Amino acid sequence: MAWACVLGLIALVLMSWSLFDQGWIPVMMAMSVGQGIGTLSFALFLVIVIIDLRKAEFRPSLPPKSNKSEDD
Amino acid sequence: MHVSPLSWIALTCAVVAAVIMVYYLIARPPLNARVKMLMMVGVGVLPIMTAMIGNVEGLQATEHQEFCGSCHTMDMHIADANDPDSGSLAAIHSRTIKFGDKSCYVCHKDYGMFGYAMTKFGGMGHVYKFLSEYAWYDMEEALPKIHIARPFKNDNCMQCHSTTGTIWNGVADHNGLLGDLRTGETSCVSAGCHGYAHPFSKPDEETPSDAEVHSALQAPRPAGT
Repeated sequence: MAWACVLGLIALVLMSWSLFDQGWIPVMMAMSVGQGIGTLSFALFLVIVIIDLRKAEFRPSLPPKSNKSEDD
Repeated sequence: MHVSPLSWIALTCAVVAAVIMVYYLIARPPLNARVKMLMMVGVGVLPIMTAMIGNVEGLQATEHQEFCGSCHTMDMHIADANDPDSGSLAAIHSRTIKFGDKSCYVCHKDYGMFGYAMTKFGGMGHVYKFLSEYAWYDMEEALPKIHIARPFKNDNCMQCHSTTGTIWNGVADHNGLLGDLRTGETSCVSAGCHGYAHPFSKPDEETPSDAEVHSALQAPRPAGT
């Protein structure tokens, strides 16, 4: 997750730069490198969340029905 | 530097996203559901909004002279276009409201259904040529070597000059060459007609004098006036 944050911050800097300086370098950097790094950051985040969900134990909110009451 | 209200929204999104990410990097909270939702906003939603607004602003920026002139090889083109004393086609057109700050784009863009996208693809070619060749030249070296990628289309002129007006057709050269002008066989901006849009970039012998251009533009008054 830390890498996702670091890449996200780099992407934000690149994308924000073009909002103030509209020369060809900042605009093209924002729309290519900046967005590429931003996409990588978001993809990393999603991978981490998916892996985390797959590892998680299934904990239903309702307890399973016990057979005890049926026996009674 | 002009920062639009849309840019401020994008910047606000970027700042909030950055605060969330910096908070995570410093505090390193356990990755529970609440933190995941917060990070979804910080790493996903807000940066995507910044990127989307950045795309809109970036594409609009590519239509302005500031963008075209940010390559040093275009310095003289921009200076001439904005020179109030210049009589070049580029300067004359840049002085009108329809062109103004977007004169490079309005004249050079491709028209038609896919015109916008094709213009952007063409622009990428310019960037490639600049990076691979012209970036290393100074203006004196670059000027004789810079050429338009393909001949300037009369269609671009005809977006405004429809070739159907009485005054326009009253010019003998226009009338005599009407078919050729509409098909692009004869260029409006050729040396024998209106001359090059950026005459300083061409050898003198290829550029008609002001007198030649103005004599060709002597139009008879429309009937009834």
